[in-house]
Amino acid sequence: MIASAEPVIRVNQVSRWFGSVVAVSEVSFDITPGITGLLGPNGAGKTTLLRMMTGLAATSRGNVTIFGEPVRDNPSLYRRIGVMSEHETVYEFMKGRDFVTMMGRLRGVENLERAVDRAIALVDLADAQDRRMDTYSRGMRQRMRLAATLVHDPQILILDEPLNGADPRQRVHFKRLLQELASHGRTIVLSSHILEEVEQLADTVLLIVNGKLAAAGGFRAIRAALNERPYHVRVTCDAPRRLASALLGLSSVDAVHVDPDGALVVLSRNVLDLQIELPRLAQTSDISLRRIEPLDDSLESVFGYLVEQ
Amino acid sequence: MGSVYRLTLRQLAGKWRLSIMTVLATLPVIIALLMLRSDSAPSVTEFETTVLSAMLAGSIAPLVVLAIAAAAFGNEVEDRTLANLTLTPIPRWQIALPKLLATITIATPFIAVSAFLTSYIAFVGDLRATLAVTVSAIVGVALYASAFVWLGLVASQAIGLALLYVVLWEGFFSGFAEGVRLLSIRHYAIGIMHAIDPRRFADITHLSPPVAMVMTAVVLGGFLIATIRRLRQMDVP
Repeated sequence: MIASAEPVIRVNQVSRWFGSVVAVSEVSFDITPGITGLLGPNGAGKTTLLRMMTGLAATSRGNVTIFGEPVRDNPSLYRRIGVMSEHETVYEFMKGRDFVTMMGRLRGVENLERAVDRAIALVDLADAQDRRMDTYSRGMRQRMRLAATLVHDPQILILDEPLNGADPRQRVHFKRLLQELASHGRTIVLSSHILEEVEQLADTVLLIVNGKLAAAGGFRAIRAALNERPYHVRVTCDAPRRLASALLGLSSVDAVHVDPDGALVVLSRNVLDLQIELPRLAQTSDISLRRIEPLDDSLESVFGYLVEQ
Repeated sequence: MGSVYRLTLRQLAGKWRLSIMTVLATLPVIIALLMLRSDSAPSVTEFETTVLSAMLAGSIAPLVVLAIAAAAFGNEVEDRTLANLTLTPIPRWQIALPKLLATITIATPFIAVSAFLTSYIAFVGDLRATLAVTVSAIVGVALYASAFVWLGLVASQAIGLALLYVVLWEGFFSGFAEGVRLLSIRHYAIGIMHAIDPRRFADITHLSPPVAMVMTAVVLGGFLIATIRRLRQMDVP
């Protein structure tokens, strides 16, 4: 990514390997204020990369700087950074408020009580703040952890799979909160393996596949690249051979294959048009469609395609 | 530092852990009582060798400390809560030192009371000897704590490794090899016990008190520095 403003976080030629396994390979990018999504399938290296960006793990090669300072072994930087890992790192014997208070105290927050009130109000957990955290649901723990991450009002937020365990209402609340923080000039980096999650939140996307930076930029450009990829769609109907010959007349269809079980496998490079044309074609040909399913719509296959480009 | 200290106290003061420590700490007292009530009461030297040196200093104290110290960092590494502390702007020594102090705070009452009662019973109220045993036991607690807190941070099998160390090094080799005594926490504690009451413990083989004191400072400081260095360099899970 070529940043127009001065980068807040700079990842420079970073690699990390564990024995012979390369988890992250020569990744470079700059991050500026706003929301940046780190997107990639499970095992792509997102968490390893985030851990190096937060100083929790060392790089095997390359370096990470935040505000121009090396992040590793530089505790004073954590006054300006809030990190929430993907694990439920809470002390179950503690009350929610005590946890947030302790984290605020460790970060040297002034007007601690007020800061704790504000952080807990931000995650909408004031009613449950005096309960022990072992009585919380997973979503509540995530929110109280977010309150502890926000208590010192950090300029940078680094969040690893922050929406894990959140119910739909909490997701909406969480997204609004992050957007509000970003609108006040915060730099937010969040990782996810869910395309739609990042699409709704991030201004900029960093696509990580097999430990490498596969793509970077605005979400629309990446989405457009995804829409141009060839899709396999499996279609089950009551007249497969008739539908197959009709489908070959469509400009959105590249090829049609009839499976031994009678289902059609359609190859299309313009899946958006196919979505519109297929039902219309079936209706005009008096064919009943029973089932339509994309065969390679998993995130892994999407990422695989982008890596090949 | 107070926050980390209080947090660690709360983490380490589990019911099961405290129960095990109570049982272990009670053992030397019971054995001292049984030995005194027996018809063939042991000599003071036999008592010192069996109960004080081998049992209290060589087994009970390290085991009690191990039950606490290995968990000071070990549990936080295992449940990944250590990142809560390392992702804060406090210097790493302000994490390592309160962890060590909290470990000593919890272990000391058990061992100190056990050592006090055992020696008070055995030495029939000789306060100087009792004080010597109690102080040396506290020194032993601090030394074992510094070693095992460090071990809990560097090794995932800290308890197994520490048990091997206690049994083989402290319990076996240091008992007969002259050079090994210089690297034995048990013998530093015995050396300090001798320094406080040389009359009562004249017959026990021991390091000279100055050597014991210097080595105590070196081991305590050395393991604390090693723990701080490890915290700075490790990949925190």
